[in-house]
Amino acid sequence: MFKSSYKAKRGRIGLLLISPWVIGFVLLKLLPVLASFVFSLTDFNMLKPQDIGFIGLQNYAALLQDETLWSVLFGTIGLAIITVPLQLVFALLLAALLSSEAIIGRNFYRTLIFLPSIIPGIAVFSVWFGFVDPTSGWLNQLIMEPLGLPPYPGPNSESGRNLLLILLSLWNIGPAFLILSGAMMGVPKELYEAARVDGAGPVYRLINITLPVISPAIFFSLLISLITVFGGSVLLDRSISFSSGFQSPVDWYIAEIMFGKQALGYAAGIAWIMFMLVMGIAIYLFKTADRWVFYPVD
Amino acid sequence: MSLRIWDNVGKITINLIVLLVVVVYLFPISYMVLTAVKDEAQFGDPNAPVWPSRKVELDYEGELYPLHIVPFEDGERELLLVQPRRNESQFIDPAAPEAGLIEWEGSWRKLEPVYENYFTFQAFTDWFEILDFRQVGYNTLAVVGLTEIGVVIVSVLVAYGFARFPIPYGNVLFLILIGTIILPEKITLIPTYFAFINLLDWQGTWWPLIAPHFFGSAVLIFLLRQNFRTIPKELEDAALIDGAGPLRILFSVILPMTWPTVVTVALLHFFFIWNETRLASLYLLSAPDKHPLVSSMLARGGFISGANNLQARALITMIVPTAVLFLSQKFFMRGVQITGLEK
Repeated sequence: MFKSSYKAKRGRIGLLLISPWVIGFVLLKLLPVLASFVFSLTDFNMLKPQDIGFIGLQNYAALLQDETLWSVLFGTIGLAIITVPLQLVFALLLAALLSSEAIIGRNFYRTLIFLPSIIPGIAVFSVWFGFVDPTSGWLNQLIMEPLGLPPYPGPNSESGRNLLLILLSLWNIGPAFLILSGAMMGVPKELYEAARVDGAGPVYRLINITLPVISPAIFFSLLISLITVFGGSVLLDRSISFSSGFQSPVDWYIAEIMFGKQALGYAAGIAWIMFMLVMGIAIYLFKTADRWVFYPVD
Repeated sequence: MSLRIWDNVGKITINLIVLLVVVVYLFPISYMVLTAVKDEAQFGDPNAPVWPSRKVELDYEGELYPLHIVPFEDGERELLLVQPRRNESQFIDPAAPEAGLIEWEGSWRKLEPVYENYFTFQAFTDWFEILDFRQVGYNTLAVVGLTEIGVVIVSVLVAYGFARFPIPYGNVLFLILIGTIILPEKITLIPTYFAFINLLDWQGTWWPLIAPHFFGSAVLIFLLRQNFRTIPKELEDAALIDGAGPLRILFSVILPMTWPTVVTVALLHFFFIWNETRLASLYLLSAPDKHPLVSSMLARGGFISGANNLQARALITMIVPTAVLFLSQKFFMRGVQITGLEK
């Protein structure tokens, strides 16, 4: 009796401690998500807010017919299929390389790798748009031309824009790199020693010891990259304004509908589709995680 | 002996590889720096070299004339273009001006000008004239400082609650917390915008930028909770027997052992809020004098748009986070440890 009331008391203290987050969750996440759904059932437009009317599932019916939406959705998924693994592999390789004790000044290098991820979005865009500019930039002048490669067409063409998005994604690896580096430093030294005694080489050690032990960090990095492609910002802030939406095609399209046409009902419908897509992918990842993410026994 | 040599060769190779990778990775930053210090005249000039430079101009009889490379039958000479004409021009040899005018036939436009290294901080001083850096500094300090206080205190308390207390349905709540990390921002944007503007009348104030942080940040709570759980329960039990309350235990047992993570989390928030321009550009549209630094420079981008000004702007906005990153690098790179998502 005493014990259970003690536990209940501790539980109440815990609830009190987390209450700010719970209130914030209800006010800033739960209610807005539900309200978004209600909005998506109306033809609400910021330009004529007084004409708001309930139109049922008409927005969703229109969405199914919206060719631009499908092309930006597939474009975004395609981009995710390229950039998410690319970022993960790049971050993993750099983290593995920089965890070698043979490297002089590796903490300094780590900081340099993290640097592009903490500079403001406008700085990132200014420098990359300037750098790849077909006439005045350096990409064609100093890299493509001397190497005899075809010139970069500029960010306004579709292929040029996609190439730029892929290049930019490599400058987004900071948080993943940080988490993977931290995890690699946390791998118990005895594991490596034991493998070394058994004659295991560095590649074998990376695949059979490091990767399984740091799998929770890999999982977390995967989630961060995924969210960034869909226009979110976790530990990384890349968008300049809500209306620019440069992170991916679908991010751009929502911004266009929301701020260009100010059709908030329709925009809410697209946001809901994206919400379900991202949640679907995340839940799928969490389900498969049981099979490949290794949890230490407490 | 030979094994040691191979060991050293391997070490040198791996160091060179890392150096090369980092140089290539950060190469665009050199473009940023060199473009920012270029003279404006260089941008319209197709002959201009990549390096910051300007045309050499020398004085002849009280006036400045540009130096050009002029080809003659017996080789090239560097001469001042004094009298440009379409088919023939007149030059002066700066080494021997007393020799008088030199005639040269051909189009002077095809001649190559002589350049010298030259860099200027004009692009930066332009910004200092446009922006009131005292006002902007005050705004930045207020927004960064207030959100930092709110987000760190609340996130530490919430993470402590999740990590150490038998909260009813705690696991479900924690899964919801992880869910909010991956929640696409656009879906909450429309209703919150509507509520902030129409219900709370927050247009043109700092409230939309600051208030949400006082409910904690899901990803920071997640990182803190991970770390708090690594502290052995026995340490807490000893303090409990001594009659310490929950807050005493947080301050005397948990925080002394986890402060590097708390500082790391504070730094992550700093980088985030420093770079934040979306909310500012949405809610401070009607109050241009309330913008923090980055969004303020973003909003005024239309006033000066030379390539050098754009890169100077990029440098000005990134200088503080870069300095903070390098000053804190020692433990910052060790502070984030992820072990298990659900446990």
